Amino acid sequence: MLFQAAAQGPQFFYLAPWIVFLPVIGLLINIIIGGRLPEKVVGVIGSTAVGLAFVVSVLLAISLAGHHEAVIVPLAQWIKVGNLDIPWAFQVDTLSVTMMLVVSGVGTLIHIYSIGYMHEDVRHNGDPKRFRRFFVFMNLFIAAMMILVGSDNYMMLFVGWEGVGLCSYLLIGFWYEKGKDGIGNSLAAKKAFVVNRIGDFGFLLAAFTIFWAFGTFNFTQVFEKAPAMAAVAPVILLFITLFMLLGVTGKSAQIPLYVWLPDAMAGPTPVSALIHAATMVTAGVYLIVRSAPLYNLTPQSQFVVTLVGSLTALFAATIAVGQFDIKKVLAYSTISQLGFMVAAAGIGAYYAAMFHLIAHAFFKGLLFLSSGSVIQGIERGQHHVEHDPRLAKTLKGNSEHLDPQDMRNMGGLRTRMKTTFWVYLIGSLALAGVFPFAGFWSKDEILVSEMAYKPILYVILALAAFLTAFYMARQVMMVFFGEPRTLAAEHSQESPKVMTIPLIILAVLSAFGGLINLPKLTIFGSIQEITTKWLEHAVEKGYLPEFTLWIGLTSTAVALLAIALGYWLYGRRYQEMLKLPTAKRPEDPIIAFIGPVFTALKNKWWVDELYWLIIVDPYVAVSKWLADVVDLRFWHDWFHDIVLVGGFNLLTRVLSVQIDLGIIDGIANGLGWLAQRLAAAMRRLQTGFVRNYALAVFFGLVIILGYLILR
Amino acid sequence: MSLNILFTSANAILPIVIVITWATVLLVVDVFIPKDRKGLTALLAGLGLLFAMVVTILRLNASVTQPASAFNGMVVVDGFASFLFVLFLLSGLLAIILSFDYLKRTGLEHGEYYVLLMFSISGMMLMATAADLIVVFLALELLSIPLYVLAGFAVPRPESEEASLKYFLLGSFSTGIFVYGIALVYGATGTTSISGIVAAVNSGSAQQVLLLIGAAMTMIGLGFKVAIVPFHMWTPDVYQGAPSSVTAFMAVGAKAAGFAALLRIFILAYPSLSVNLTPVLWALSAITMILGNFVAIAQTNIKRLLAYSSIAQAGYIFMAMVPYGDPQVSAQCVSSALFYLVAYTFTSYTAWAVVIMLEQAEGRGLNLDDYAGLGRKYPLLGFAMTVAMLSFIGVPPTLGFVGKFYLFSTVLEGGFNGLALIGLLTSLVSAYYYLRVVVIMYMRTGEPVVSRERWVYYATVVTAVATVVLSIFSSPLFNWAEQAVLKMF
Amino acid sequence: MNYLLHPLTLVTFFPLVGVLILLFLKEEQRTAARWVALVTSLITFGIALAVLVQFDPQNPDLQMLINIPWIQVAGWNITYAMGVDGLSILLLLLTALLTPISILSTWTAVQDRVKDFMIFFLLLEVGMVGVFLAQDLFLFYIFWEFTLVPMYFLIGIWGGGRRMYAAVKFFLYTMAGSVLMLLAILWLGINQGTFYVPDLMVTAPNIVANIQIWLFIAFAAAFAIKVPMWPLHSWLPDAHVEAPTAGSVILAGVLLKMGSYGFLRFNLGFFPAASLKLAPWLAILAVIGIIYGAMVSYAQKDLKKLVAFSSVSHMGFVIFGLFALNLQGIQGSILQMVNHGISTGALFLIVGIIYERRHTRELDQFGGLWKIMPIYGVLTLIVTLSSMGLPGLNGFVGEFTILLGGWGAGQPGGSYGSVWYTAIAAIGVILAAVYLLYMFQKVFLGPVTHEENKSLKDLNWREIVMLVPLLILIFWIGLYPQPFFNLMGPTVEKLVAHLQAAAVAGLP
Repeated sequence: MLFQAAAQGPQFFYLAPWIVFLPVIGLLINIIIGGRLPEKVVGVIGSTAVGLAFVVSVLLAISLAGHHEAVIVPLAQWIKVGNLDIPWAFQVDTLSVTMMLVVSGVGTLIHIYSIGYMHEDVRHNGDPKRFRRFFVFMNLFIAAMMILVGSDNYMMLFVGWEGVGLCSYLLIGFWYEKGKDGIGNSLAAKKAFVVNRIGDFGFLLAAFTIFWAFGTFNFTQVFEKAPAMAAVAPVILLFITLFMLLGVTGKSAQIPLYVWLPDAMAGPTPVSALIHAATMVTAGVYLIVRSAPLYNLTPQSQFVVTLVGSLTALFAATIAVGQFDIKKVLAYSTISQLGFMVAAAGIGAYYAAMFHLIAHAFFKGLLFLSSGSVIQGIERGQHHVEHDPRLAKTLKGNSEHLDPQDMRNMGGLRTRMKTTFWVYLIGSLALAGVFPFAGFWSKDEILVSEMAYKPILYVILALAAFLTAFYMARQVMMVFFGEPRTLAAEHSQESPKVMTIPLIILAVLSAFGGLINLPKLTIFGSIQEITTKWLEHAVEKGYLPEFTLWIGLTSTAVALLAIALGYWLYGRRYQEMLKLPTAKRPEDPIIAFIGPVFTALKNKWWVDELYWLIIVDPYVAVSKWLADVVDLRFWHDWFHDIVLVGGFNLLTRVLSVQIDLGIIDGIANGLGWLAQRLAAAMRRLQTGFVRNYALAVFFGLVIILGYLILR
Repeated sequence: MSLNILFTSANAILPIVIVITWATVLLVVDVFIPKDRKGLTALLAGLGLLFAMVVTILRLNASVTQPASAFNGMVVVDGFASFLFVLFLLSGLLAIILSFDYLKRTGLEHGEYYVLLMFSISGMMLMATAADLIVVFLALELLSIPLYVLAGFAVPRPESEEASLKYFLLGSFSTGIFVYGIALVYGATGTTSISGIVAAVNSGSAQQVLLLIGAAMTMIGLGFKVAIVPFHMWTPDVYQGAPSSVTAFMAVGAKAAGFAALLRIFILAYPSLSVNLTPVLWALSAITMILGNFVAIAQTNIKRLLAYSSIAQAGYIFMAMVPYGDPQVSAQCVSSALFYLVAYTFTSYTAWAVVIMLEQAEGRGLNLDDYAGLGRKYPLLGFAMTVAMLSFIGVPPTLGFVGKFYLFSTVLEGGFNGLALIGLLTSLVSAYYYLRVVVIMYMRTGEPVVSRERWVYYATVVTAVATVVLSIFSSPLFNWAEQAVLKMF
Repeated sequence: MNYLLHPLTLVTFFPLVGVLILLFLKEEQRTAARWVALVTSLITFGIALAVLVQFDPQNPDLQMLINIPWIQVAGWNITYAMGVDGLSILLLLLTALLTPISILSTWTAVQDRVKDFMIFFLLLEVGMVGVFLAQDLFLFYIFWEFTLVPMYFLIGIWGGGRRMYAAVKFFLYTMAGSVLMLLAILWLGINQGTFYVPDLMVTAPNIVANIQIWLFIAFAAAFAIKVPMWPLHSWLPDAHVEAPTAGSVILAGVLLKMGSYGFLRFNLGFFPAASLKLAPWLAILAVIGIIYGAMVSYAQKDLKKLVAFSSVSHMGFVIFGLFALNLQGIQGSILQMVNHGISTGALFLIVGIIYERRHTRELDQFGGLWKIMPIYGVLTLIVTLSSMGLPGLNGFVGEFTILLGGWGAGQPGGSYGSVWYTAIAAIGVILAAVYLLYMFQKVFLGPVTHEENKSLKDLNWREIVMLVPLLILIFWIGLYPQPFFNLMGPTVEKLVAHLQAAAVAGLP
């Protein structure tokens, strides 16, 4: 209704490019003069740039409300070679605008939050000058993300696709001299980029096939030609969609390429929130939804997609249960939730996928940000402790070892960081999918769709949902309830307003986000299925889930059960466990029930180790072998320097000594004992007997005449 | 009237006459030139050659358009001859320039030196005109005997004497073979004049086998002079032993003279034998290029290195004769050989001049290591030597490259692709030792001892620059080489 | 004599003016020598721009053609023929641009025999420009061989420890190829009666199949060594490691392009049928080169060697694109020649900058430099990204079009059918990220481990000035490559048509 109101309003499509320009302008300003500006101003510039981008997105949305059809806003020619024709052009339709709104909206909040967060972070890490760099990178990310979602063709999308990858690389490695052995963060960044490149490899192959199959990269044209192609050569589409999936698994951290995301937590927390939870990682989902017409034509790959998604959802959820790092838990939870979206998109429940994407952006962004607030709360506490002589000595100097992200060092923050606690609680409930928070509605739609598609997949996802609720409960209990387990936790302090206010806003969104796509029920009247109706104009209908009461009830029940379980394990039981002497204190109360399995969970099922074993190590070994053995020792040293040069010198020696002098001596003495003669020859090298030379001439004469006569 | 013939003939070969008479007079005049003023003798000799050259050049067009034959067709002064006249006289001049200070430095200053030089040159010129095997023989002796003496000029240096002796003995040996060859040819055709031989062959009165053997022997005799493998044995020893200035002259003049005779005789007298002789020529040039270049690599003494390089170069020129039997190509054979001889002359003199400047008493300063740091200490000498080396390899922009280009195109047109490939690959091989000289000059540090005599120095730079410039503006030279052979047949 | 003042003659031989002036300078007048060389090369660049202004992108044929009889004997008519078209214009500009930049890079690096250095450098420029403009095979060969000499001296005199070895190896290796080419050139000149390239474009394609293939191989030998294609790359690391920075920049930036350019103009132009027949083999070698180069460079410990091997990989892409024999492939590979010149040139400059400060290139000697030299770090990052083909930077545009072309090479009129080539080649894009990020991490990321590094100075103005033009191009080509494609477009279309015709006609 809001949109209908604006329907007759002005149209702002021509503004589309500004969603990219504004952030770029912002970062340019910060690059050029940011150095001389105070932190606050730098932060404000960065945030305003994104904020304005959000305004533009809203204007675009309003204009779309007027007429829903996609509008192409061409900007410039990019590559034109023969029939290869790739423009810089923006496609403004309900789908892209939705993404723009999410990206710039959540982005703005996170930027504002960062002003406060980074202010402390840069000091804590001892390089305040990097404050500016942070906002430059963040703006760059927003720009790249906008290119990704705004593009009207696959290649411009790819520019954004790799662009966000770059920003992720830069921001993961933001503290490039920190981390394990001082290089850990950089390695994590490199890992992220390379793993994504593997995905991009798939994307590229898909792109090549698209071009030679359809002769264009433009979405609309490709989708127009797709059905015909499906009729004649379905395998082509299969090829395209599956290779695209490889790209998706890279960017959206699905099996088998999810491994980079947990390490990506090395980046500052706002980065984890914006890039590795709310926006970038959802690009894969967006890509599938965007390519809906292709996927609808290839059921086989649809099945593969949804299978990958579901398995990822469950697999990641199990790992999340075994983590102690507050951010790692959220990271695996993100992977799992992305699994939900991919699963939905796979079976054609595109609206459900998008809905969950949006909701997830709200509550996962919220959770990460507030976890950041928690971490800094602990750090403040630690700082306070270290500078309070009386407490300092009780630390007995083991303060360095305290990891502010380890949940085992927390506890009892409920009373000390009230706001953070409440928003975190809301976020967790939303994620756990408890009625009536956003997560409930979005996840429910997915479950319904899966049920209709393949019950077994539904079971898998339901299980994942159960685990989700469980590990969130575990986390909340460990962080906020019970007694503080460290001095730092005891003296932790709440974060400043500039951080808490964005948290509150996000909390509200997470709580009531469900409203944007309530199921089709008469009780909801005209506010039902807003998103669905909205997206219908851009994404062709895939599967439309009907609200099914029993599924809704089941998931709520599952969630509550899991929470109860979590409360029981990590509430009282955990407190008791802590009373035990360190020696026979189990690491985690759940060990009592699942035993060794927990070790597996804690070690992430050793997948990283496996990859190292079968991919990284062999690659390094082979390239070293190629470089040192094949190229250097064999090809360079042996073949060139020994065989070629050596053979050359040998030939020279033979010709100069054996032939040029030896033979002659041989003739001179009537026989050719070259071996012996060599010495003689050498001696005669100086004088050179005329007789021998004359005989040589004579000998040559004989040969030639002999040849001429006898031929 | 016979006197009349004598005059016309003498007039025809005027340049030769000039050189000979001048030399004879100089021999007398020299007696009155004090020991310490031998520079004057050199100057006079030079003037004599210059005079002869002027005359030659004035008669150039005439010789090209209507060749003058003299002494009842025993000699013919055509474009080919006059081209070579210029070449010989030029190399004579350069030889004098190179010799003057060198002789003084090494205490070999005798007036006879220049006289002998001039006699030898006259012999070469005669060689270029010879239209009769007898004349060739005459010329051969005329050019060789002075050289035998010159080679031993550095008495009492043993290696010089040895060189002289070797050169003399082997020279006479090969001349013997040559004469025997003439005899056989005569036996086969009943004549020694080239035209006569052709006539006999055409009339079918010639005894093919005998003629063939005779031809082969004449070739061997001359092959010795131009140092074709396996008749090259004397070269390294003699080149090393003889005074460098003489060596330089031998390396260019004697070789060119030998080729003059070879080209004329083969192209004009033996085309009928090409079926049999071509394979031999092919093989000889191939092994010459291969052996010469490879053995050169093993050398550490610059004179020996250049000696073998000259053998290899002979191989390249010899290559031009391989397709001589093919009437389409035969003209180009001669002109490309002539052109390459010019390139070889400039390049070779540049190199030898540098060698002479670095040579010290008792044959010191002749090792490659003595060249270390030359490029840095004496940039111009370094430049000159580099140009020479690149030109020997055949890297543009140098005469050597253009010359090789001409040679190889001749060979290819004759259809001998294999030989051309061998030639190109061996020139790649040669790059290895020629570059070594450059490497030592520029990339090793050292304190080379150089006696920079003014004239030699100028000569070096001039020839070096000429080697480059003539390669870029080579059309005139090309045309001349082409014109020279037009009226030959 | 108007051809003496013809723009192409000028742009080729103008550096000789500088050489002339330098000859009259004294050994001690270092700064003067530097300025003379710099100004000369800048003016040359100006002339090159003037050529660009006169250049008509719409016209597919050779332009500003000079064709003057030079040596007209023995049945050959060798001419002084110069001309520029879409295939060469960009390379001409690249050469003219990289020369002054390299000279700038020697400002403080070269202190010994500055005058001689500059003389050789300007001579080198003459040779390189000549190679790209010569339209007569004889003339081309002269320029081609001539470039060997100055480069040989640059490596041999101002090079590192094993400079003599490297110099001689470089000379002999390259000459080995050229010798075969010379044979082929002679053959063409004799049997086609001309050395004039445009004429040969018409007549040569009709040479009977088996001879045509031999000629193709003879030419290819020379170019493959120059590129260098695997497995003929062995001279490259030596030459690069020993050469002075400026030498490496020119070597990677321009000399290697002479090889790929030769393939483009002569192998494709003269022997289209043979190209079609042999394309799969060259594509295989190129693909091997891409992967091999990438893997080997990842295992290097010496920064310069790493970059050198990366060239093997990148040039593999160029050749791969050429032998896709379609529009995208060829245009992409021409652009990639320029890109490689820019980014690898820049990388060598960057290596030189740090080498000048630390006198080592061992990767282990660095780490955390970003903290100490922020500007240096950022610029390097951009260059690295461009080299690994990040979309939005120049590298991607080239590689993408090349791979796209390769993928479509199976289409009618294409050369090799299988998409496997491209799929494997595309893996090279992953590997590029692996070794380049590895390099960047080893040098710039992590903590500062060596005391010596703590006091390093960030870039000075001269160094920034010499990098900025390259960076501008990196972004320009990355975001708006159209002007560059337009320059080469028509000519390449003509060439592709030429190839298509041969494909239709089949082997003669």
